Amino acid sequence: MKELKILLILIVLVLIGYWGIEPYAHSVMHGEVKQPDHTYKDVPKNIPTTGDPVKGKELFTTNCASCHGLKNDGVNPGMDIQTSITSFKVVPPDLSNIGAILDEHFLAYFIKNPQDATKNPKFAMPPMAQLSDEDIGHVVAYLKSVTKKDLTGKEITVEACGRCHSIKYQKVLSDTPKEPLKEYLGKVPPDLSVIGKAKNVEYLETFINNPQNTLPGTSMPRLGLTKESTEKVVTYLDQIADPHRDQRNTLGIWVIGYLLFMAGITFAWKKKIWKNIH
Amino acid sequence: MKFMDWLDERLAVRQLVKVMLTEYYVPKNINFLWSFGVLIMLVMAILFVSGIFLLMYYKPDANLAFDSVNKTIMMDVEYGWLFRHTHAVGASIMFLVLFIHMARGIYYGSYKAPREIVWITGYILFILMSATAFTGYLLPWGQMSYWAAQTITTLFEKIPFIGPDLVIWIRGNYIVEDATLTRFFALHVMLLPLLLAIFTAIHLYAVRIVGSNNEDGGELTKEDKKKGKGISFWPVFMAKEFFVMSVFLVFFFYLVFYQYKFAMDQINFIPADYLQTPHHIYPEWYFLAFYEVLRGFFFSQNLGLIAFLFSMFIVAFLPWLDTSPIKSGKHRPLYRIMFWIFVADFLFLTILGKLPATGLYAWLGFVGSIVFFIFFLALPIISRIEKKRLAGGM
Ligand code: HEC
Ligand code: HEC
Ligand code: HEM
Repeated sequence: MKELKILLILIVLVLIGYWGIEPYAHSVMHGEVKQPDHTYKDVPKNIPTTGDPVKGKELFTTNCASCHGLKNDGVNPGMDIQTSITSFKVVPPDLSNIGAILDEHFLAYFIKNPQDATKNPKFAMPPMAQLSDEDIGHVVAYLKSVTKKDLTGKEITVEACGRCHSIKYQKVLSDTPKEPLKEYLGKVPPDLSVIGKAKNVEYLETFINNPQNTLPGTSMPRLGLTKESTEKVVTYLDQIADPHRDQRNTLGIWVIGYLLFMAGITFAWKKKIWKNIH
Repeated sequence: MKFMDWLDERLAVRQLVKVMLTEYYVPKNINFLWSFGVLIMLVMAILFVSGIFLLMYYKPDANLAFDSVNKTIMMDVEYGWLFRHTHAVGASIMFLVLFIHMARGIYYGSYKAPREIVWITGYILFILMSATAFTGYLLPWGQMSYWAAQTITTLFEKIPFIGPDLVIWIRGNYIVEDATLTRFFALHVMLLPLLLAIFTAIHLYAVRIVGSNNEDGGELTKEDKKKGKGISFWPVFMAKEFFVMSVFLVFFFYLVFYQYKFAMDQINFIPADYLQTPHHIYPEWYFLAFYEVLRGFFFSQNLGLIAFLFSMFIVAFLPWLDTSPIKSGKHRPLYRIMFWIFVADFLFLTILGKLPATGLYAWLGFVGSIVFFIFFLALPIISRIEKKRLAGGM
């Protein structure tokens, strides 16, 4: 039928155009996104990640608590926020659950050499040269022993990203104010409220795994999240950016169902009116 | 029917209904491409309604705009997301139906006498619609909003003598900023919709006066209508129209609910930042072909700008470029070939317009831009060939 032939031509033209401006253009502009490396292949695995949590706590109190708090175990940071901002331009995070959030080998290597582990030569925390590998094992064991189990995506995001990023629409403000962050990192880290709409899930996973994967030379540090933490963070970011997804998907079915029904009725009416017209 | 009588005495409604609906005849040999004018009106209505709801929560202020759209409307207001999706998809689909409507007019020669006024008013509607879309795109104040507006307004700088001052006058400042947002807002929600409504009325009035064209391009005489060569607008034509509209709405709302991303660029979910230029700046898809003509002359910005202006305006002159007495493309083999080359080229330019203009793409853009104009330049020649052939008694 002629009408169907015309419709077919329209559909083919529209599909070619759509392919060109969406999938094809995006593949040319962004190339292939690298796969995330959740095992941190480049991180040496020879530093112990187990030891005595009691010794670990002692070492933590003497070596880390001057800068970091650990609320889960009642440890307050030795430094008030204002002082840490003047010293580091970033507030050192509370480490209550970091033992569950970060990959243990990454964490051990990070304590030894933060600049190399994070791929950020200007990373504000000094290397803990005074600690032997064995000491680091004790500290990691301690950090793992105090963490809460089954953290939510929001908890992980706030603890791992909250010193730099705000999530305004969730009423989460970064621990560090904007000006010092800009001085430290060269730019204010973007708000994460709708980042799930600006970036797709695969991109976020690769980026968080190692920011250098997608933005070479960026000042956002590699943080060393485990695969599970990364996925929870990404799911959380995706979900807060699009809170009405379920409502949309259900309503869509009703609306389209109704319109299909209307199409049926109008088709019947057309048939009736056009019966005598040739 | 007392009320109808009362109304008829005062407003002559019966006569009106006859003239406008039941005794207004449309040719029988038209296909569903003639439904696209009504589809445009449908999309326009959808845009008006969804736009009014958005207007209730939108805040035209550089500090508030992004959050009022992405937080208030998208997250807090009940079904706010539905209105935003509908409005964004509606704007995009408006251009799809406009392009099809125009292509129908070109293929069947509907721009020819006696429909020049229909064509010109239609063309003005296209320009107004483009201006509405362009000003509207700035309102969410995202990165792509900002940089598209920045890039396009910069184009005016090239105009001799007044260019630089003109750019500042349009922007209200040296760069795109709050003053630009508020004036684009005023145009988008007030002046342009008003002009659209006025020109739609003139366009429709003109169509009523000269009647619709048809596949074969012959005109209906009064006797034809009586003999039943025409179908009445109401109920016969509209019965088909309602079916076409329903099918169109299924497609439209499928996009609104499940495929809206093409109409809402990802980068626009990053707030506008005048210090950080995005890696790729491109307009919405419906401007890509014209944008590619602009970039196509990659070796000379001035030439590109001139070509860009021509590409936007030359369509208006079709009735005078094509003087062949044969109306419909159905009976013009040469014309038909050029038409399909033109359609393919427009699609090609649209796709190229989003790709980085480097290396091979830059040259393809140049070739595509030239082909775009060949269609228009070929029309006078085709007309002469056809006139000769007719004079030769064939
Ligand atoms: C002189 C202050 C200081 C000391 C001492 C210090 N840190 Fe830090 N630490 C920081 C700062 C500042 C940051 C945040 C830097 C940034 O995000 O750019 C940080 C970040 C971290 C992080 C987060 C890394 C990530 O990938 O998210 C961990 C874990 C950490 N420190 C563990 C420790 C441990 C364990 C110790 C003790 C062995 C310690 N820190 C001692 C200042 C310190
Ligand atoms: C030490 C500060 C810091 C921490 C901690 C941090 N970020 Fe960032 N982040 C930045 C900076 C700085 C940028 C801007 C990078 C750029 O544009 O070069 C950024 C950018 C981003 C971006 C945008 C990437 C893009 O392509 O534009 C995302 C997404 C992001 N961060 C997510 C996270 C998440 C999730 C976390 C926690 C798991 C996190 N960040 C922790 C500093 C940080
Ligand atoms: C807001 C925009 C527009 C609206 C609401 C609109 C509406 C309509 C309607 C309702 C019709 C009659 C039905 C039909 O033939 O499809 C029509 C016909 C027509 N329109 Fe438009 N139109 C618009 C834009 C345009 C544009 C941009 C052009 C071309 C530049 C155009 C050119 C024509 C022509 C040539 C006809 C007569 C077609 C024929 O009889 O074959 N219109 N328009």
